[in-house]
Amino acid sequence: MAVLERTADAIPQPGLLVWLTSVDHKRIGKLYLTSAFVFFLFGGMLAQSIRLELAVPGLQLTDAEGYAQLFTMHGTIMMLLFATPAAAGLANYFLPLQIGAADMAFPRLNALSFWLFLLGALVVLSGYAAVGGPADIGWTGYVPNAEKTYSTTAGTDLWLIGMALMGFASILGSVNFITTVLTSRAPGMSMFRVPIFTWNVLVMSVLILFSFPVLTGALIMLLADRRFGATFFMPAEGGDPILWQHLFWFFGHPEVYVVILPFFGVISEIIPVFSRKPLFGYRFVIFATILIGAYSFSVWAHHMFVTGVVSLPFFSIATFIIAVPTGIKFFNWVATMWRGRLSFETPMLWAVGFLFIFLFGGITGVILGSPPIDFAFHDTYYVVAHLHNVLIGGTVFAFFGAMYFWFPKLTGRRLSERLGRIHFGAWLAGFVLTFLPQYQLGADGMPRRYADYPNDPTWVVLNQLSTAGALLLAVGTLPFIAAVVLALRHPPDQPADPWEANSLEWATTSPPPEHNFRTIPPIRSERPVFDARMAAAAARAAAVDDGEIPGP
Amino acid sequence: MRRARIVGLGIALILATAGCMPQPGTVEGRDISALYTGFLIAAAVVAAVVLVPLTWSIVRHRRGRDPSLPTQHRGNLRLEIAWTIVPALLVAGLFVGTLVVLGRVDRPDAAAPTQIDVTAFRWGWSFRYPATGLVQSGVGDPGPEVVVPIGTPIRLTLTSNDVIHSFYVPLFLFKRDLNPGRENVVEFTVDQAGTYRGQCAEYCGFQHYRMPFTVRAVSQTEFASWLASTTAAQAGGATSVR
Repeated sequence: MAVLERTADAIPQPGLLVWLTSVDHKRIGKLYLTSAFVFFLFGGMLAQSIRLELAVPGLQLTDAEGYAQLFTMHGTIMMLLFATPAAAGLANYFLPLQIGAADMAFPRLNALSFWLFLLGALVVLSGYAAVGGPADIGWTGYVPNAEKTYSTTAGTDLWLIGMALMGFASILGSVNFITTVLTSRAPGMSMFRVPIFTWNVLVMSVLILFSFPVLTGALIMLLADRRFGATFFMPAEGGDPILWQHLFWFFGHPEVYVVILPFFGVISEIIPVFSRKPLFGYRFVIFATILIGAYSFSVWAHHMFVTGVVSLPFFSIATFIIAVPTGIKFFNWVATMWRGRLSFETPMLWAVGFLFIFLFGGITGVILGSPPIDFAFHDTYYVVAHLHNVLIGGTVFAFFGAMYFWFPKLTGRRLSERLGRIHFGAWLAGFVLTFLPQYQLGADGMPRRYADYPNDPTWVVLNQLSTAGALLLAVGTLPFIAAVVLALRHPPDQPADPWEANSLEWATTSPPPEHNFRTIPPIRSERPVFDARMAAAAARAAAVDDGEIPGP
Repeated sequence: MRRARIVGLGIALILATAGCMPQPGTVEGRDISALYTGFLIAAAVVAAVVLVPLTWSIVRHRRGRDPSLPTQHRGNLRLEIAWTIVPALLVAGLFVGTLVVLGRVDRPDAAAPTQIDVTAFRWGWSFRYPATGLVQSGVGDPGPEVVVPIGTPIRLTLTSNDVIHSFYVPLFLFKRDLNPGRENVVEFTVDQAGTYRGQCAEYCGFQHYRMPFTVRAVSQTEFASWLASTTAAQAGGATSVR
């Protein structure tokens, strides 16, 4: 104990300079998570503006230009300034801890990744200072609409440059994650003892490595079109607008799995801990993760069914097949809970909420994978509802679950259960209220990216329900912020393993010391901390039997 | 958790009613609608297979005051095989249904009796009847009206003058992009007379939300006389302007 206290004293209080210059994966992880959450709040405010504008027919809050900027920046921020760095932040903090490493394989490269990401994010956001405002081309930037002829603002050029910088940051980060998992594992941790979250990060990193360079190339081509007289995407000069869609979605669909796989990993960590059972079918969940990653490269053109230029049967069956490994994960999660000893602390609430909501996002994904049905629903609110169903019910729910689960490890403090339950309840109800009406709006034929809509009573009511739900989501975020602020006002009081968990990050103090571990328990399964706990309990029982220490 | 269960059940219930397709106005739309119904039935089965044991587990397998460790089941090969094979068969079935409907709704026939060339532009539509040279064109709201006969195939040739647009009639349950520099050919048969709202579905710039059009479906004889008289009126109008 004395040793611990002395070490704690020896660590200086982190000043600004420490944060700016740190190459410690834990500091960098916190920087990623904090910036991602700030961007999440900003992207959320843009979403609120969109919903308020659509609350009644007619343009009230903004004009058509402003509306285009709102949905462009909302989508860009949520995908690339929130979801991607949130995954990178969790991976940065927990991947080295889960494999018993002292840091990432390349700590300086790690710091470079973060600062490059932040620079790219700020370049994208600097569009707000441009004369014509920020990018107004949709987060998918379809050409020729994104060409200089049609999108005149410099905000679009800044968007292209910032996106390329962030893509570069992600590529560097993925190299680092892959190298760390392959080379820095603690003795005894074979690949089939690596925690499931880390496995998901590994597959995510491979996806980034193969998909982000394609995006970067496409962005540079479009920038060349806009600024340097190239004609890659201009049909009148022999360019091809469809090429952009192929390149964008060859990145864009793996990107969807980049922002969901790590969060599948989070769910696969939380459910066993709060069910008191090992993850059912651990190896099958890993195989399923690898399969999802591999298939994610063969489905991109399901975003292009109505272009009239892609093979519909091929991309349809490829899309359907992804449901099989995803289903394997689902069944294994349910089987993990089956006959467990379930308790419902906040992390488990979010995990179960994830199971209920993500299921419907997956199902509507299969529905949209059928080209004839997509002919009806493509580019309508049905797709908007589906993508928020998987990204909120999946990514955001699991992100909040991860925050409640790992907050003790991140800070040595625990988030309030009471505030956490309010937060969860508001988000569950808010999600249902916001997005179920959007499924109906889409089926009814309301296209997405419409600044205004006809004054049809059904559409008005459905839009108002959706807006009310969005407000509930906004208000429902406040308990989380309050819980974080309240927790940080108290001194750290959490033990190494507050949840009786399984993986190696729980074998060190909360928060961990500078180089993570003083001792590492023997690793003989994918649950070393569980094994150590059982061994300690057995030793205690033996000692009681021998009369060495008094029984309870 | 009780709240979560109720909301979860609510999701299932609302999904059963939300996301319903409208009554389609075309032969192809009816095929698509039937396919969607098939998918919804499969979806309900899948949801039940996952949610029933999940809910049961939440209700019956709570920790309570039992501190003991449950049996540490690590997996079961037979179960893994089962929940790989059965979903694979299910998606194979969905794929067969998809192929059947796709063959029926996405097979344009060059000999279709009514042909219309559609050109989209920022922000309006131009519908040209090559049989007589008639052009129905307009920008903004309410946009142009295109008249079609019912009970006979209509073949559209779609292209764009500038950016990508998408021809979308919600009650036809159908849309197809209009790409600059390319032509897309689609075909459908309207079987319910009436007027149908159409609109652009691919984001094409600031006024994207204000480029609707109307499809008016009439009997074949009415269509023939409308085409003749409107073509004559347009030619006469053009003459008088000249």
